[in-house]
Amino acid sequence: MNKTLLCSVAALSGVLLFAPGCGTPTHYVQPEGSRLVTTVGQINIQDWANAADAMVQSMIDQVINTGRLKSGDPAGPALLAISRIQNNTGQQIDTDLLSKKIRVALSRTGKVQTYITFNLGDPEDPLAKDLQEMESARNAAQQKRLPDYTLSGKIIEDRAQAGRLQQSAYVFQLSLTTRQGIAVWEEEKTIVKQGTRPSVGF
Amino acid sequence: MKARFTVTLPTVLIALGCIGGVGCQTTVNRVEPGQPVAQKQGLMHKVIVTDQSLNNKVRVQNMSFMVGEGGLLKIQLEVQNLTRRRQSFSYRIEWFDEKGMIIVLPTQSAISRTLEGQETASITATAPNERARDFRIKLLEAAH
Repeated sequence: MNKTLLCSVAALSGVLLFAPGCGTPTHYVQPEGSRLVTTVGQINIQDWANAADAMVQSMIDQVINTGRLKSGDPAGPALLAISRIQNNTGQQIDTDLLSKKIRVALSRTGKVQTYITFNLGDPEDPLAKDLQEMESARNAAQQKRLPDYTLSGKIIEDRAQAGRLQQSAYVFQLSLTTRQGIAVWEEEKTIVKQGTRPSVGF
Repeated sequence: MKARFTVTLPTVLIALGCIGGVGCQTTVNRVEPGQPVAQKQGLMHKVIVTDQSLNNKVRVQNMSFMVGEGGLLKIQLEVQNLTRRRQSFSYRIEWFDEKGMIIVLPTQSAISRTLEGQETASITATAPNERARDFRIKLLEAAH
């Protein structure tokens, strides 16, 4: 009798001890690591980073490292303004997830700076825009420098299914255009994902 | 008159083996010039293996580099799948300045890659700026 009771208590304790370990407790992961949640139906954080990395690598490789990047100020970096990056996917996405990463990486090359008071719609920094206008009014002789390049693009989604297997393709297209309207650099990066359920890691 | 088929266990196993084998074992045939024209600048590299399983499947065969007109270092490594099956892995490149300090970038991320059996692929990367002098490449086996 005592033995049976002891066994039951031991078994119950074991279940109570190990039950919380069955699920995955919330924990921090490295955003640049390879153990991130991957889903088929949406652009995941690592997809944005991969697309931005491919774009920056291509731009550095073809424009910056070849000496083709021209600046209006020979002593300073080229000025870049961010134009429209069109979202042609079925999802609501913030294209800054792509453009900001690209801007930061380009800025760290030391060869490019971004104009944040010269963009489509409202200025990114309204206070900086006001300050710029005040500065222009105070110093009328000083000419406002125009951006040397604009960055524009599009994100396109393509979905396919074969039985339970789903496939999503995300196409990232970007162009770097001069003030004369000539695209000096264009790139396209496609990310294709297949699966039947979400997973962790590649 | 009806035809009769007898399905035995060995027949089923062979059939399953054939179906399973078709998708997994695909190797790549190559054709390249007998005497390559391109002159690569090879780079001595040190390999530290902590995952022998991955090292038996995917390995960096050689590494080359060049410095572009813009003064940025560009590297290229040839990776080969040593097995006859499709292998997935991810890699990440870290750049260091001349004092050995890491250059952190928001675009730095692990990139996944899949190679067919015996396939060789080239991975290229250009340094994020002129300060980048050294690099480290990390290879990781796919999670699944």
